[in-house]
Amino acid sequence: MIGLQHYLVLSAGLFALGVLGLLTRRNAVNVLMSIELILNSANVNLVAFSRYASGNLGGQVFAVFVIVVAAAEVAVALAIVLTLYRLRRTPNLDDASILKG
Amino acid sequence: MYELTRSLAAFRPELALLIGLLLVVVADTFAGWGRQLMTRLLTIVSLAAAFGFALELSAAGTRGPLFSGMLVIDPLGAALKLILVAAGLVTVLAFSFRNSRELHGLGHGELFTLVLALVFSCLLLAGASDIVMLYLALEMVSITSYVMVGYLKGDRLSNEASLKYVLFGAASTGSMLYGLSLLYGLTGTTSLRGIQEYLAGGIPDANRFAVYALTLLVLAGFGFKIAAVPFHFWCPDVYQGAPTPVTALLSVLPKAAGLAIALRFFYGAFSVPERGPWDLAGSIDWTALLMLVSVLTMTLGNVAALTQTNMKRLLAYSSIAHAGFLLMGIVALSENGARGLLVYLAAYLVMNVGAFLVVTLVHLHEGSFDLRDYPGLHRRAPLLTLAMSFFLLSLVGIPPFVGFLAKLYVFSAVIEQGQGAYATIAAVNAAVAAYYYFKVLKVMIIDPGNEAKPALELARVDQLRLAALALANVVPLFFWDWIEGWARGALVLYAGR
Repeated sequence: MIGLQHYLVLSAGLFALGVLGLLTRRNAVNVLMSIELILNSANVNLVAFSRYASGNLGGQVFAVFVIVVAAAEVAVALAIVLTLYRLRRTPNLDDASILKG
Repeated sequence: MYELTRSLAAFRPELALLIGLLLVVVADTFAGWGRQLMTRLLTIVSLAAAFGFALELSAAGTRGPLFSGMLVIDPLGAALKLILVAAGLVTVLAFSFRNSRELHGLGHGELFTLVLALVFSCLLLAGASDIVMLYLALEMVSITSYVMVGYLKGDRLSNEASLKYVLFGAASTGSMLYGLSLLYGLTGTTSLRGIQEYLAGGIPDANRFAVYALTLLVLAGFGFKIAAVPFHFWCPDVYQGAPTPVTALLSVLPKAAGLAIALRFFYGAFSVPERGPWDLAGSIDWTALLMLVSVLTMTLGNVAALTQTNMKRLLAYSSIAHAGFLLMGIVALSENGARGLLVYLAAYLVMNVGAFLVVTLVHLHEGSFDLRDYPGLHRRAPLLTLAMSFFLLSLVGIPPFVGFLAKLYVFSAVIEQGQGAYATIAAVNAAVAAYYYFKVLKVMIIDPGNEAKPALELARVDQLRLAALALANVVPLFFWDWIEGWARGALVLYAGR
């Protein structure tokens, strides 16, 4: 029987994978995918809590909003990465290193 | 129906901005010479209208939930909205496409749309009373600022800055969202009021660690907006890479909105009604945690600023340090702390925007942000140097300037709570900060160099802007009774009952 715990473990795993990807990946597109993992781990949480624990639909509505915001955020982020590629011919984040100190 | 009309009436500042935003988009599609003037004028008018409405709400002392409890209006929120709209208005008036070399020849309409959207979303954030609204508003602030930072499309610095901003931002708001989802799971509701009722009932021992962990995750999102350590890494790079007028805007607006929502989150969700609105639930030492963040923030900001030679970077680290001082208002967890926060934010607005205006004007005439190009400015641009000394002395916190009163308020609030050691650390920090502010003044006034260069020909309107902002750092002292009364009257937080 699949219950709340299973979803929470899944979501914690997704969150951990996302953070790991964020810290280790150097390609900007991969980093954006890791961020999607983090956002979706929260979505799994929200929907699971809504179904099993809270007894209201607030969590599911929240999840829909998160999906919309994630799409907007990724659209902006991809546009910025695309500009990076146009200016430097690379999607590698380590090459974006003029600003430091 | 009645609820909707009542909500819309209290939503007028935001509505004014929204209508202004749409009009700017429409006006920008018309061709012709008047287009640039038109978009600028519309922006100023809608910001001024929003300011008027916020003033009205603040004076009327309106309080209550709006839009089925998504937002909330209360005197403290109205006062914060007043500061947020004023920040937008002052920045738009102080900077133009003519006095910023970086913005020369770029589209007006798009930037003004983004400015209005940023102010609008900051107002939403300052009034959010539901974690769905909180998350949406925070993301709207973030996404508009990412675009503004990357406004110089072909510029590598601007692009790199916006890339770093978007990655740090997405990571920290993602962590915050994960924390919020756990908060929803724990309490079964998305409204701050519901969360407060749950927490006030006493947290079961098994969940105490969960509450602590998820609050840390949520703090990541707030800390990112405030640029508090350890979520400050983006700040110097973004401030340096963004066009300077955008930097000036970003150094005030998201910081103020982040502090506003931190205040609302802690007091709205964690306060215990029976023990008064300033007593936090959970038998967890939130004060110690916030104090640690505040001390680290001001110390790191000040120490890192000591060695900077790029003016924008120096002001970036200085703004991190000021975030630490601003957090003192929240650490105090008292009415006087909130009042200190209000006064500090208002003072920080005039002194910081002023400093960035001077940096922009020097860049316009000299083409440099480097402190090494500042020697001899007292001869070549006396008014500019005089204004800069006002701003820097105010940032240090020297008596005749508003910066001093701001520091006085937060320090006294902290000492009143018996946190003397904390106040001492902050005082040492203020002394360290004096070193690098005075260093800039020394370079401008005493250091030799640039003797052969001609004087800076400041435009009449720029001289006026400098004078107005410089006076804004002194004149409020003569109206202090009035300001004191305003801040005192604003100390009502609607906790939702």
